[in-house]
Amino acid sequence: MNVYLLQLVNGIGLGMLYFVLAVGLSIIFGLLRLVNFSHGTFFLLGAYGCFQLVSSGLDFWWTLLLGPLAVGVFAWLIEAFLFRKVYHLPHELHILITVGLALVLQEAVIMYWGPLGNNVAAPDLLQGVVMIGDFVYPKYRLFVIGVGAFMAVVLGLILEGTRLGAIVRAGSESAEMVSLLGLNIRSIFSMVFAVGAGTAALAGVLAAPIRGVDPFMGVEALGIAFVVVVVGGMGSFAGALVGGLLVGIVQCMMSTVWPQGANLMIYVAMALVLLLRPNGLLGRS
Amino acid sequence: MALPLALSSGSLATELLIYAMAAMACNLLLGYTGLMSFGQGIFFGLGSYASGLLLLHLKVSMALALLGATGIGALAAVFVGWFAIRQRGVYFVMLTLAFAQMFYFLAYSMPDITGGDNGLLDIARPNVQFFGQEMFNTGSPWRYYAFVGVVFLAVFVVMQCVAESKFGRTLLSIRDNEARASAVGYNVKSFKLLAFVISGAVTGLAGGLHAMLTGIAPLSSIEYHVSETILLMTIIGGTGNLFASVIGAAAYVVTADWLASVWPRWMLLLGLLLIAVTLYMQKGLWGVLERAALALRSRRAAAPAAAVEAGQGEQA
Repeated sequence: MNVYLLQLVNGIGLGMLYFVLAVGLSIIFGLLRLVNFSHGTFFLLGAYGCFQLVSSGLDFWWTLLLGPLAVGVFAWLIEAFLFRKVYHLPHELHILITVGLALVLQEAVIMYWGPLGNNVAAPDLLQGVVMIGDFVYPKYRLFVIGVGAFMAVVLGLILEGTRLGAIVRAGSESAEMVSLLGLNIRSIFSMVFAVGAGTAALAGVLAAPIRGVDPFMGVEALGIAFVVVVVGGMGSFAGALVGGLLVGIVQCMMSTVWPQGANLMIYVAMALVLLLRPNGLLGRS
Repeated sequence: MALPLALSSGSLATELLIYAMAAMACNLLLGYTGLMSFGQGIFFGLGSYASGLLLLHLKVSMALALLGATGIGALAAVFVGWFAIRQRGVYFVMLTLAFAQMFYFLAYSMPDITGGDNGLLDIARPNVQFFGQEMFNTGSPWRYYAFVGVVFLAVFVVMQCVAESKFGRTLLSIRDNEARASAVGYNVKSFKLLAFVISGAVTGLAGGLHAMLTGIAPLSSIEYHVSETILLMTIIGGTGNLFASVIGAAAYVVTADWLASVWPRWMLLLGLLLIAVTLYMQKGLWGVLERAALALRSRRAAAPAAAVEAGQGEQA
């Protein structure tokens, strides 16, 4: 079988995971104008939530629901009691407070679960591989692609087809105008932040059986999420999808051509996009 | 300046001075020019590698090793700065972040030069020579501290001059209102670039000194984490003036050393401190000291409240 074709499919799988990871970061920036360096931590919490629930005997399927939900509620509280106070301050201070929160939570994770990594088993149903002709692909990765596609459709429908989505899109243009129209933009901010953090946690749950869990996966994920969001366009939903797929595919393709350079290339791409099209490939100016 | 004598360990005191230099350099960008650079680790790491390579392969003198570290820091700053200053605000921050990651993975993917994951090991610290004549032995930690102390003082004086010069004042005007500075006729980009180069050179020098302190130039010296640490020291100290950065670095290094021995999860407290700085003390430790000094003075003089308010107005 063609190795490039395999890497392409691998890249799509990874890219869908990156989309789920980064879409929240993008929408949060678009609406709240918050540069959220704690986004990777919600991914981390999702992954450890999955690990904790599975190792205490709960079915993996439940963690897909409970992990993101718990993290979403937690993020809602963080937004309401902490981040809400800094929106009016310069971006530098957003970075400072979110870096602070990320440090606190990462250290808390190490305190509770220890500094070493752990493995999480995929559910029985998704163990093994599927074969289509001579094409072999792990079932679990196919499942990740499916969940990613499902999330893309659901979020897309909400954003484009519902009244709430319209408010969020309008808020990204001008939050002030939306609140002048008599809508409670504050509560919408909280909800969007919670959903954004929840999707990052979902990505964490999905990633746990693939790569295991360790306390530093949040920092790693944050770097990737920034690349995806910058490449696609900060604040753009479609950009997160395209950016996620692009980064995933480039990373997988590079790993056959020049493995050490795979990560180098995606940051070169990030810098190029920032220089040539700072609003991203799909962003509006 | 001689206060680190209160510390029991010479290498801890040296580390303090090295990070104080790096924080001052960061402050020149953040406090004076309004540029939040996540790329200071690039210059620090390259400085470490440069002095390490020069000492390992060419057995150069102390002066040449430090010159190499400073030079490579400045050179990298020209490169990174030339691109980064093309964007502003969040986009600038993201660009410096992208460059920081690029240099890290570059160092990682060239193990023949950088030693890859292991880094450069067994870097011997040379003595200070003058035309082949040994001037000063840097063998013991405290002797090396004395040498770094002299370098630090020189850097501090130079940086202070830069900050107080017309150039420094122009940087402040760019920070406060870039459009106006540009309209008055200043070439904003070349000012920003020069600030970058000075900052990169000093950070590179700090990196070189650090490699000689520890005897290694590990991959972690060019990590994103170093950029973050330097930035945090600078912000914790306060960005109003250069001495605040020294306080920030001192507070960070000493507290980290102390807490790390008491409680391995001390970074949690650092995180809480950052949140507190954001919410309640945006001028950093310097701002807190300033307020405390002001309160003390007004209590002693029992001055009317109006005078205090006027004083605060001046500070702001």
